[in-house]
Amino acid sequence: MFMEINVLFFGVLAEVTQTTFRHYRNIESFSDLLHRIQDEFPEMIHYNYRIAVNSEIINEDPELKNMDEVAFMPPFAGG
Amino acid sequence: MADTVLINGPITREIISSRIDLLSQKKELGGHSIFLGQVRADVKGIRKVKAIEYSAYEEMAGKEAEVIKKAILEEFSDVKSVDILHATGKVMAGEVSLLILVSAGHRQQAMAACSKTVELIKEKLPVWKKEIFEDNTHEWAQNHLA
Repeated sequence: MFMEINVLFFGVLAEVTQTTFRHYRNIESFSDLLHRIQDEFPEMIHYNYRIAVNSEIINEDPELKNMDEVAFMPPFAGG
Repeated sequence: MADTVLINGPITREIISSRIDLLSQKKELGGHSIFLGQVRADVKGIRKVKAIEYSAYEEMAGKEAEVIKKAILEEFSDVKSVDILHATGKVMAGEVSLLILVSAGHRQQAMAACSKTVELIKEKLPVWKKEIFEDNTHEWAQNHLA
């Protein structure tokens, strides 16, 4: 089943990708999404980041649902 | 409904005093601990920070702030309220970017809980900062956790 996924980029990743938001169509799985993003923005490999799905940080590959929001987040720097 | 955690622009003296004014209504409380985080004019090599531009994942920041408040209220039984306000956008050196206000029956827990809240914010709030130098170059900064 193909999904539509909204992707957010924050901090230095928004600068590197020159965007804060991307909408991807025809996504099959989380790893499919990662490959699509890595193909589009190969420079992201040089940065550390964590990933959140619908505002929850994930540690392993999640099961994505249609219209999920996936955020790429560099180390936090609040305060 | 969760309180607003992020505001656009610096946390002004007016905002800080209005929060402090509200405290007098809480007559059962004996101690308020306030932390103000201020943008520091760090010097890196020959460059000096003139401002920080903050950005945040708003939806997640709201949820995380609630998680932090709940954790503090559970850990410190004498603490009755935890206020968190974080600036977004551009904040000049010398201006305030973070306000934490913890109210408790007595001073010990107010101070300990305020300190713990600051650490949790630095660790868990999805906020990013871009240091802007006086020569208009910039650098993305990262927190050093205690």
